[in-house]
Amino acid sequence: PPREEGSPAPVAGWGEHGQVLEGSPGRRQVQPAFVPSRGAAGERWEAADAAAVPVLLPSAGCWFPSPTPQDIVYRSRACRKLRAGKSGATLDFAKQLGHFFVDHPEDAFGSLGRLLHKNFYLGNSKLKVTVSRNSTIRMTTLMEDIDRLEGRRGCPRQHLASRLRWFSHLCRDWLFEVPLGLLADCLHEELMQQWSSLLFDDSLTGGALAWLPLEDGGTPVGRLVHPGGQAMNHLYFQDVVLEELPRARGSPQQFELSGRVRQVAAARVDGQDFVGVRSDYHCGVWRVPGKTGAAPTPLQVIRTDMPASCLTVSPHLPGELSVCTQSGTIYLWSVETGLQQLRHDPQTMFFRDYSPWRWSDFTAHPRVLSCADRTGLQCLDARAPKRCHFDLFKVGEEAGCQQGERVVLPMYLGRAHPSQYLVTTQFSVYVLDERLPLVPVLKWAHMMKAPPLFAHLMPGKPGRNHKVLLGASRTQELLLLQYRVSFWGVSSGGSQSACQLAGTPQELHSIAGCLQHLPTQLPHRHHLLQQRLTAPAAGLAATLQEDGLHKSMLVFQLSEAGDVFCQRLTHKAAQPPAPPPRDEATTAPGSSPLFEAPDSSPQGLGTAALRYRHWLRAFSRACREPPRHTWLPSLSQRRLFTQRDLKGPAGPSSLQRQMRQRLRQTMQEGGRIQRWEPLALQPPPLPQTLEPAEGPDPLSTRLTAAWAGDWEQWWEERTSFSVAQRQRALRERRRRQKRAKGRRSLSASFTSSLTYQSELSELSDVGPQMLSPSRPPALSQEGSSPAGSPPRRSLWTSPAPEEALLSSQSLRCRGIPKERRKTLRDYLSVWAEGPPEPPEPLGSQASQLCIPSSQSQLSSA
Amino acid sequence: SSNEHKLNFKKSKEACLSYIQDALLQKQWKRAAEFLTCYVESLEKDYSREHIGPSEIIWRIGTEILWHHSQSCMKEFNCFMEQMKTLGVKRYLKVCLEHIFHLLCNGQIDEAYQNLSLAESWRFGEQTAIQDKEMKLIQAYRGLLDYYSWSKQKNILLENGEDGFSDLAVEQEMHGYFRKAAVNLKEIIKIPGVWDIFVKCYVDLLEFYGDHNEARQVLNEYAYNSKFPANPNAHVYLYQFLKRQGESKKSLISALKILHDIVPSHELMIDFNTMLQKSKKRKKRRLGLEVIFTGLDYAGWKENAKAWSCLARQVKQIVISEKHLDWIKHEWNSRKDWWPAFHFSRYLAKRNWQENKSLSYEKALVAGILLGKDCKYFKYVSHQGCKAQLKRFRMLKKFMNRHSLVYLRISG
Repeated sequence: PPREEGSPAPVAGWGEHGQVLEGSPGRRQVQPAFVPSRGAAGERWEAADAAAVPVLLPSAGCWFPSPTPQDIVYRSRACRKLRAGKSGATLDFAKQLGHFFVDHPEDAFGSLGRLLHKNFYLGNSKLKVTVSRNSTIRMTTLMEDIDRLEGRRGCPRQHLASRLRWFSHLCRDWLFEVPLGLLADCLHEELMQQWSSLLFDDSLTGGALAWLPLEDGGTPVGRLVHPGGQAMNHLYFQDVVLEELPRARGSPQQFELSGRVRQVAAARVDGQDFVGVRSDYHCGVWRVPGKTGAAPTPLQVIRTDMPASCLTVSPHLPGELSVCTQSGTIYLWSVETGLQQLRHDPQTMFFRDYSPWRWSDFTAHPRVLSCADRTGLQCLDARAPKRCHFDLFKVGEEAGCQQGERVVLPMYLGRAHPSQYLVTTQFSVYVLDERLPLVPVLKWAHMMKAPPLFAHLMPGKPGRNHKVLLGASRTQELLLLQYRVSFWGVSSGGSQSACQLAGTPQELHSIAGCLQHLPTQLPHRHHLLQQRLTAPAAGLAATLQEDGLHKSMLVFQLSEAGDVFCQRLTHKAAQPPAPPPRDEATTAPGSSPLFEAPDSSPQGLGTAALRYRHWLRAFSRACREPPRHTWLPSLSQRRLFTQRDLKGPAGPSSLQRQMRQRLRQTMQEGGRIQRWEPLALQPPPLPQTLEPAEGPDPLSTRLTAAWAGDWEQWWEERTSFSVAQRQRALRERRRRQKRAKGRRSLSASFTSSLTYQSELSELSDVGPQMLSPSRPPALSQEGSSPAGSPPRRSLWTSPAPEEALLSSQSLRCRGIPKERRKTLRDYLSVWAEGPPEPPEPLGSQASQLCIPSSQSQLSSA
Repeated sequence: SSNEHKLNFKKSKEACLSYIQDALLQKQWKRAAEFLTCYVESLEKDYSREHIGPSEIIWRIGTEILWHHSQSCMKEFNCFMEQMKTLGVKRYLKVCLEHIFHLLCNGQIDEAYQNLSLAESWRFGEQTAIQDKEMKLIQAYRGLLDYYSWSKQKNILLENGEDGFSDLAVEQEMHGYFRKAAVNLKEIIKIPGVWDIFVKCYVDLLEFYGDHNEARQVLNEYAYNSKFPANPNAHVYLYQFLKRQGESKKSLISALKILHDIVPSHELMIDFNTMLQKSKKRKKRRLGLEVIFTGLDYAGWKENAKAWSCLARQVKQIVISEKHLDWIKHEWNSRKDWWPAFHFSRYLAKRNWQENKSLSYEKALVAGILLGKDCKYFKYVSHQGCKAQLKRFRMLKKFMNRHSLVYLRISG
């Protein structure tokens, strides 16, 4: 991107004539006459509406907003420095890598998965005895191990999940190392690229919007060529009728392309329009007959190895284009004869600049092409490109360039004057004449906040002003300039033209400018709308329309979201003493003349307002669609989990039922629920503090004692008291811990053993160390008995008849084997005896409740 | 704190400036003027080290507003400019120049002259390179105005001279103007640049006083010094000077040859072609053909009927004489792949016929010779011409029938 060392001065273009030109020539004249090179009277063009108006309805699909600085930079503060160029903006690499892992697991880990494919078995069935059996791990088992790990949290023997330990030991060294280094490089590169394209995206240079006027009897008709679709990879040719506001006619001709459309260039030769379309690696050309109803014909497509940075269509010869790629190659592309390479030079022309951006355009001579990089422009003769060339523009002293100034967009002004050229930089706009190279015939500081990437010429009739529109991408700025070629020189035959900037530059409505006129929206809708409307501009087109005395100009602007907005400017005949224009008072921010009912309109609202209504409605409909980008990973779980694993509990659990009931009850009573434990559980006592809870805090008691004079006694009391207190507390805590430990290890082994039961046979090959010694072997044998063991949750839900539960009778009828009855009784007695430990044990209970495998197995076994 | 205050001040200053900018870009001069009166406060604490400080901003914006504001008058403008001149020493000369330009454009030549004299006498320490150039420009413009005064006196004298009456005082005054103008104009044209207006005036002065050698030297320097930009006007001035001096055809041709090398599409190339065609030398006639072919390569010449008739005449001559067909062949060789589409398409035949019949006649003649009588352009035009019963088109058809095989020899 052009570095912005001296940031563009906001006022550099005002108040300067620059030089004077000799006015009406003639030596005979007594009084010499001069005209200013800037400041001459221009035509008056006034906006017809208060804001730009949508031409087409928003497409139905979802739109992906392009990244903002906040997305890739650490602090949002850095975005203020965005214009400072080399500022120390820190890219948020870690966040992006994290996003990448989550959003593209397939890309992040897929290659590794493919590498390890042989050694991991994802099926659910048993491994067959094959050669590979010894080197293959069954993933189902591994996953279950991992799940079980959760249930074992806090268990001192946790490390004994040896299969996992084994796995992690084997993989620890390389599991993340292999892709990460490579991935990080790629990601970092991508981030840098995104950042630099945020600062300045030159791939959009030239703009992706074209207007082709059509000949159709009386009504003024034209054809808009613009990209659309979610990825901007569809090309549309839409017929548009120019009424008070342009209106789409019929459905557009549509072409699906294999890349995002970056640029649409068009030129008319011999009554036919040739439309060149550039995406990163493909360029195509269409021929559009200049009559209504005639369908565009695709002619040819070329593919480039490096991204193309420029595509221009010859205004002289049908089917000729020029193409530049980022490798520094310039081609003349003829549909009939193919590609001719004119130059290949990765280096810039006049001084070293790292930008790979290249541009090329046609000149007054159909065989001579201009080629440009950030440092200047040269003209090449296609018949002898190595020998015949001359410098047209050079960033440097001759043109009076500023430090850090770089070429942004060159454009051939052939339709206004056959030998003139427009060159824009981030600071200034120049008009050059190829007959007097290097010295601009017009220079003006345009004061735009972002470099003008788009330009459109509307040639005026002889003797009238030519109009040039400049457009910036990020800020959506649109500037209308008028200039005229005035003859500086005396005798006929010897005139060298110089240019005059006529009138003052005029800022036109940007797309985002309509926001303030729109009806108030809900905050999130407003945000969406704002995001949509402030999307960077992606193209610019305009047309002059003349019917009788009324002249008007229609300016189309395309946004990256694919929206095409339009504004009409009407020409006001020059009245020498200009009456105070209406704009002085009315267009204060906040007022919305757009939605006020104009007197003339019988419907109550203007066409513009109606157009907005439709657009907003379609936009909100498009927004309401579920966002498609949050696609779920299409990995099948069925291979990893058993059918039973996946089956959730049917209906609300009894616990849930109980809770609901309690809630309802409390609501009826008008009381409140302090804790969400089941009723059976007594609210646990508050954890005891080591300090006595009663009385004021120790500091104030101490101070009171000291004030009273018996501080010493207070100390005595305190020490003795606190020692006793602390001892008691410690004892209590140890007891509680002991109790908890016993219970927890029991419950853990309980669940784990239960989950093991179904696959115990499969585990046989793992080795004896897998069998936890804490687990009584008896249970593992007995557990598989299908005697409808009660759902485990019944322990929680109906604990009231404790005696009944604990009686061997009831235990037997629940299918608990004899050997386990004592253990269970012990366990339950502990449970019933004391309140559960707050708060950590509660968490573990909750986690037990949530283990799906043990639950479902218990209930279904 | 003061720092915070400073920051707030800076912020409101920036906001104010952006309001002014918005107003200017929307041509709301009154609103801009109101904001500018607030912005003037920023001069009080001008600590900025920015590229363009508040005083320059006020100068630029104020000037712009005064240019366009419906209620501004010249007196006010002059007053404002005088104030602005005192605001910055470094900018003094630039503001002076701009003021003078404005006076010139408004026809106030005398006021401009006074201002120029004032600015010329201004001295302030060491001058920077830019100021040096600005001073030279101021002197040059004064020289230019002196030249106009001289020219006025000269005209009076000439008119009086016709009556056989001469006024010594007027003559004296005229010579005074000459001296003042010559000194200043001579200086500016030494610096590399585009000084067309100054060069022209200086040469006029020199020629009047008969100093042709100096004039020739000045023009040669202006045209051929490689430090100067390749300015086609310089060659035009030299050519016109040589013509006035009655120089030989040879030197005129060599001057135009150089112009041809720089700008092959220059309007003078038609004169050049005519001059070459009249020449007895074969080489020159061949160059003439090349010149006219090259000129017609350019998009700007596409509908230049004069150029087409030059080419048609010369090509017809060659075909009739049957000599030097190889010249045409040589020129045609590098053009035959694109001229048909560029000049001789059916679309253009239609349009040329509708817009300019004589252009289409000349072009049809050339097309017939170069591409044969079956080419689209010739066919369409001759058909239309015969239908309209125009005699020259019937003659054209006859001519082409007689020379129907020439195109094979040219393109073969």
